[in-house]
Amino acid sequence: MRAAAWTIGVAAALGWPLVAPRYLVFLATLVAVNAIVAIGLNLLSGYTNQLSFGHAGFLAIGAYTAAILTLRVTALPVPVTLLAAGVVTGLVGLALGIPCLRLEGLYLAMATLAFGFVVTEAISNLDALTRGNDGLHVPLARLGPWALDSDRARYYLALAVAAGMILAALNLAATRTGRAFLAIRTSEVAAQASGINPAAYKTVAFVLSAFYTGVAGGLFAFVVGFLSPDAFDVFLSVDFLVMIILGGLGSVWGSVAGAAIVTVLNDSLAGFQTYRPLIFGAIMIVCMLFAPGGLAALTRRHS
Amino acid sequence: MSGSALIHVVVSGLATGCIYALVALSLVIVYNATRTVNFAQGEMLMVSAFVAWSAQHTAGLPLPAALACGIVAGGLLALLVERLIIRRAVSATHWDVLIITLGLSLVLRAAAGIVWTNEELPFPALFSNRPIAIGPVRVAPVSLGVIGASLALMLTLVVLFRATRFGRAMRAVAQNQNAARLMGISVEGVFSGTWVLAAVVGAVAGVLIAPVTFLSTKMGLIAINGFTAAVLGGFGSLPGAVAGGMLLGVIENLAPLYLPSGIRYSVPFLVMIGILVARPRGLFGRVERRKV
Repeated sequence: MRAAAWTIGVAAALGWPLVAPRYLVFLATLVAVNAIVAIGLNLLSGYTNQLSFGHAGFLAIGAYTAAILTLRVTALPVPVTLLAAGVVTGLVGLALGIPCLRLEGLYLAMATLAFGFVVTEAISNLDALTRGNDGLHVPLARLGPWALDSDRARYYLALAVAAGMILAALNLAATRTGRAFLAIRTSEVAAQASGINPAAYKTVAFVLSAFYTGVAGGLFAFVVGFLSPDAFDVFLSVDFLVMIILGGLGSVWGSVAGAAIVTVLNDSLAGFQTYRPLIFGAIMIVCMLFAPGGLAALTRRHS
Repeated sequence: MSGSALIHVVVSGLATGCIYALVALSLVIVYNATRTVNFAQGEMLMVSAFVAWSAQHTAGLPLPAALACGIVAGGLLALLVERLIIRRAVSATHWDVLIITLGLSLVLRAAAGIVWTNEELPFPALFSNRPIAIGPVRVAPVSLGVIGASLALMLTLVVLFRATRFGRAMRAVAQNQNAARLMGISVEGVFSGTWVLAAVVGAVAGVLIAPVTFLSTKMGLIAINGFTAAVLGGFGSLPGAVAGGMLLGVIENLAPLYLPSGIRYSVPFLVMIGILVARPRGLFGRVERRKV
C-alpha cells in the first residue's frame, strides 16, 4: 500500500510536465520551491517551537546570492550556485541565530520580523549589487553545456532539489540532532535534564532552516527570472506560516501539502487581491480553533 | 543645526512617541493579564479610525462625537473578538492565540479594504498643523495637542489601575490567576475587560495619528513601532512602555538628521534588533524568573 502510494506519487511528479500545460508546470515548480521553504520553516517552528516572521528575508538572501553569483561567474553549474545560496543564507542564519538564542518565543518572532524588514530595506539601498528597486534580471541557470531555458527543465531541477531536501528532512528524525529537536519540542526542560543543550540545538535548527530557505531562494530566482525587494515583504513570510499551520506543525508531508494548497490558492486568487488576506487569515483562525495540528493531524486521526 | 530647530524636532518626536507609547500600552495591558500579544492590535485601532471617519462623513456627526464613536466601536470590536474567538482558545497554548490574532489582523485589514477603501484618506484633525511661536521656539499645535491628550489618557490609566476595583482585579490576575480566582475575581471578566481597555487606548492612538499619517488600511503597522517601544522599555512594564515610546519617537525623528534619510523607516527595526540583542529585558525591565 505504502509502496503503491510512493510509486504513484513519483510517477505523477515525473510525468506532470509531459501532460500539463506550460503554466501549470510553472505553478508546480513554485509549489516545489515553497515546499522547501515550508519544510525549512517547520524545522524551526515545528521542531523547536520558535516562530519566524523573517523567512521572506532568508528567501531574498538566497535568491539574490544565486542571481548575483550567476551574473558575476559565467557558466557556474546550478548545483554549486544553489549550494552557495544555501550556505550564505545559513551563515546569515547563524549570525542572526546566535544573538537571538537569548530570546524566547515572542521576542524571537519580533526579531525575525525586524530582520525581514531590514533585509528588504538593505536590498533597496544596495543598488550597486542588487539594482535596488529597479529589480534584477536573473540569467538562465546552467548545468554544464545546457542552459535550463524551458519551464520543463526548471521543473525537473526544482523537483530534484525538493525531493532531496524532503528525504533529508524525513530522515532527520532518525539522527541524533533530529531526536534532540523532537525532545526539545516535547519539553525543553526535560530535554535539558537529559543532557541536550537546547540553545545549541536551537541554533542548529535556525541555521538548517535558513539553509533550506536559501536553497529555495536560489531556485526561486531561476524560476521567476526577475527579483525585486518588494516581492519579499512580510506578507510572504506570513504565507509561509500559513503553509505550515495549514499543513501541520512538525510534519514534513504536511509542509508539502500546505505549500501546494497555499501556492495554488494564491494563484487562483490573483484576480481577487482584496480577498486573499481575508481567506488566509480565516484559514489561520479556523485551523488554530478547530484543527491545531493542521492537515497532518487530521489524516493521522482517520488512518 | 540651531537649538530652536532641534527643539522643534524633539517636540514632534515626543508627539509621535506619545502615540507609540499608547500603542505599546495597549499591547502590554493585554500581555500582562493574558500573557499573549495581540498581533491584531494595530488593525483594531485602524478599524476605530475608519469608524470615526464614517461617523463624521457619512453620519455627519461633529468631530468630537465622531472620534468618540470610533473609540466606542473599537471597544465593542475587542469585546466581540475576545468573547467569540479568543475565549475559545483560552485553554490552548499561547502560540495558538498569537497565530489567531495574526490571522485576525489579516482578516480585519482585508475587511476594512472591502468595507471602506484601500486608498489613503485625509483624516480631520482636532489640532492645527501650522507652527506657532512660543518665545524663540516654533512648535506645531498638533504636537502639543497629541502630547496633552496622551498624557491625560495615561494619567487616567494610572488612576484606573491604582484606585478602582477593576484595576486591582487586573493587577491580581496579572500576578497570579489562580489566587485571583480564589479571591472571587472573574478571570474571564478581567480578560474581556483588558481587551476592551487595550482597544480603547489603541483607538485613541489611532484617531490621534490618523490626521498625521492619513487614514489607510496600512496604518495598523504602527503596532510594530508600539511593540518596539514596549520592548525598549521592558515588555510588561507600563511606565517602561511610555518611556520606550517617547524614546523611540525622538530617535526616529532625530536619526534622519544625522544619518542617510532613507534610514527613517528602518529605525524601529534597527532599534528593536539592537535592544533585543544587547538587552532583551529592555532598558528598565527586570529578569523574570521562570518556574518549571
